[in-house]
Amino acid sequence: MPMDPPAVPQDQEDPRAATNGDNLTTRLSKKPKLSSITESQIREEFAHHQPGVARINNGSFGSCPASIIAAQKSWQLRFLSQPDDFFFNHLQPQIAHSRSIIKDLINADHVDEVSIVDNATTAAAIVLQHVGWAFAEGRFQKGDAVVMLHCAFQAVKKSIEAYVTRAGGSVIVVHLPFPVNSNEDIIAEFRKGLARGKANGKKVRLAIIDHITSMPCVVIPAPELVRICREEGVERVFVDAAHAIGSVRVDVKEIGADFYVSNLHKWFFCPPSVAFLYCRKSPLSPDLHHPVVSHEYGNGLAIESAWIGTRDYSAQLVIPKALEFINRFEGGLEGIRNRNHDKVVEMGKMLADAWGTSLGSPPEMCPSMAMVGLPSKLGVLSDEDASCLRSHMRDHFGVEVPVHCQVPRDGEIGATDKDGCVTGYVRISHQVYNTLNDYIRLRDAITQLLHDGVTCKMLPQDS
Amino acid sequence: MASFIDCNGATATAAALIPKSKAKSQPQPITQSEILAEFAHHDPTVARINNGSFGSCPASIIAAQQRHQLLFLRQPDYFYFNTLKPSILKTRRLIQSLINADHIEEVSIVDNATTAAAVVLQHTTWSFFSADFHPGDAVILLHYAYGAVKKSVQAYVSRAGGHIIEVHLPFPLTSNSEVISEFRKALELGKSNGRKIRLAVIDHITSMPCVVIPVKELVTMCRDEGVDRIFVDGAHAIGNVAIDVKNIGADFYTSNLHKWLFCPPSAAFLYCKSDSLSELHHPVVSHEYGNGLAMESSWTGTRDYSAQLVLPEVMEFIARFEGGIEGIMLKNHGAVVEMAEMLVKAWGTELGAPPEMCASMAMVGLPTCLGINSDEDALKLRAHLRECFKVEVPIYYKAPVGGEIERITAYARISHQVYNVVEDYYRFRDAVNKLVEDGFTCACLG
Repeated sequence: MPMDPPAVPQDQEDPRAATNGDNLTTRLSKKPKLSSITESQIREEFAHHQPGVARINNGSFGSCPASIIAAQKSWQLRFLSQPDDFFFNHLQPQIAHSRSIIKDLINADHVDEVSIVDNATTAAAIVLQHVGWAFAEGRFQKGDAVVMLHCAFQAVKKSIEAYVTRAGGSVIVVHLPFPVNSNEDIIAEFRKGLARGKANGKKVRLAIIDHITSMPCVVIPAPELVRICREEGVERVFVDAAHAIGSVRVDVKEIGADFYVSNLHKWFFCPPSVAFLYCRKSPLSPDLHHPVVSHEYGNGLAIESAWIGTRDYSAQLVIPKALEFINRFEGGLEGIRNRNHDKVVEMGKMLADAWGTSLGSPPEMCPSMAMVGLPSKLGVLSDEDASCLRSHMRDHFGVEVPVHCQVPRDGEIGATDKDGCVTGYVRISHQVYNTLNDYIRLRDAITQLLHDGVTCKMLPQDS
Repeated sequence: MASFIDCNGATATAAALIPKSKAKSQPQPITQSEILAEFAHHDPTVARINNGSFGSCPASIIAAQQRHQLLFLRQPDYFYFNTLKPSILKTRRLIQSLINADHIEEVSIVDNATTAAAVVLQHTTWSFFSADFHPGDAVILLHYAYGAVKKSVQAYVSRAGGHIIEVHLPFPLTSNSEVISEFRKALELGKSNGRKIRLAVIDHITSMPCVVIPVKELVTMCRDEGVDRIFVDGAHAIGNVAIDVKNIGADFYTSNLHKWLFCPPSAAFLYCKSDSLSELHHPVVSHEYGNGLAMESSWTGTRDYSAQLVLPEVMEFIARFEGGIEGIMLKNHGAVVEMAEMLVKAWGTELGAPPEMCASMAMVGLPTCLGINSDEDALKLRAHLRECFKVEVPIYYKAPVGGEIERITAYARISHQVYNVVEDYYRFRDAVNKLVEDGFTCACLG
């Protein structure tokens, strides 16, 4: 059978010598398909996205191709057709299959370590409710601390309030720099912040570290921060990697955290919504429970999470199909990640050049998203300004992009452009459906606003 | 002009939410063949007499749900910022009107009754932890409480130091007074050593065995006996029996919308009386934490909320039936009782409860010779009926109490919903007759 030349440069063997044993067979199985998905097939897969919208915010809600939506409907129909048979004979094996695919993807040791939940928000509730119990049951003492980043996702901050502060725990907040120039800046600030927080002999029970912060968006050197936590005697580390799978490489053993969560509906093409929560097995593994308690209570988190009452579990069942979809692309998941990254950096630089600003972080700290400085003249001076600008971009220009306000901390200068301090950033995403035109529309919209002398204060206020 | 009738006779609020073009009178009620078309996606080879477990959803509602799903996928940011919350509010207003709640804040939408139980019970954990409640303070629930709820009570109450009182009800039952007197005895016993009862969890319709409980009387009794708070688990109730939360008088009340109210999987409401509202939180904490249970429940992270958004379309569907939801409930009840009596006559057995204690489900005694002698036997027989006879019906094993030798050790819980036809029950009748004829016993099954 004729073979295409290998796409991976390091594959030197003659692919026609197919009988030469395992190594070659393995390499052959990793060759790209004879024909990768085409541009027009990609457009078809995302034809349900609203035409006319420059959709450069894959980061917030993700995206799902038509063929996965169809696969999901097929699962939904199977349940509706004969729910009892589905419940007794099919649901659990399918969830187990999804879990084993994730285990391989993230390099976990045991499938028991992999639970499937709705989203990272749910995973945070699971980990933090456990902390709440530890306080209630006297394993933790009043004042024991939980560490979080200042830019932790708002929902996670609320969860800390609900389960830690309410239970008598204290919270150490670590500020990371933004704009940022290198991993070393992050590492240094984290080390300082953690040491300062522990200064009066606080026992740190849990650190919550983002793998990719949401706003502002930066890839954090997670393995290094986890190591610092261990060195500083932090009991457990929870990595909130909501954005990670499908945008950066995920190896949970390399990262070394106790708990690691990522959403599959953001960058892994699953429908809303599904996430995995990895919990490292060890003799001292704490006993986590799903907060929605059902028949499987006590049978381990993964089994508890696989039945939390009658619901639509179909998003959890299409993970194998999502992987198939991904493998239609050249280079599979890695290929998609690399191309998204390269494109978003290219578009980020194009925008920064056009606006006279800069990226908020160097390319190597960008995943499939980039923070691009907005011209200071726009006057993004508060969260309300950022929100108004985002709405205006949507309503007036048909551009969907989240806007972030980063006011420099005391003593810091932050970024500047020729007119003043750059305090506003857009977080642009690139996913397989994006085109150059999306970013040109963003570029021109901002340029138009500047041209018209518009500032955020002049924009219609969000209700 | 025929108008939309809900079980409390209220029309205005709900009607205002139906698009004008559809609010005009429906001269012809939905026909039998239209009903069959709406449920054509049900496996046609199966006699599906178990609406109680997982509910059912008509094709036009599935289509409506898919429209909502597509709206999100199409432009999720717009949907999140502009569409989602007003849509959930519409659903909450419909529920408020259906159940006669005073204030809209009292109505939250959650995934299912299991989630509602977690919401209510997590609050008791905090009360123990903060020393509002003391070790040994009690929660009282029925022995027949749903398995998941019992686990939740274990996870949130026992673990926090609470004491559990289970009320054993007799089964088979002959009247409400049996339920009331057993409950009264258990309450008195529970309080007898000065124990404080902090929460009563009372099923409106027990799951297995399935019986309609006189909740209003039990709630009143609890109040009289100084029980702090009362939670009615009405998982099966809406679309099965009339619900008037003020009349019932409980502090918390939940019911699934996907069981008997034609919503897709899954959605439920949790009603919480105003004076207890600020105590409750959704366990999956997100941006809305602290803004009230309804707000917290309306956003628990990125998810598919579409099942919560189709209640307006469901009310339109229901309005196509003569008598609306009340008409459906009456017909279902009449039909299930008729079928149950047909079955007991054919098998020489008995009903587990009188018709007035049944809604759209009935417990039908199975012939003793089938040898159902354990929960495992009941499950195996259910699987056997599914696989060999294509009959879907849950079986309940009734362990003999004390030294009794029960004539009937197992009951089938038959349901009747609008898609059921008499042949479904004939198939079940004939399947059991065949098993009896063949000398089948559960011991035969592997």
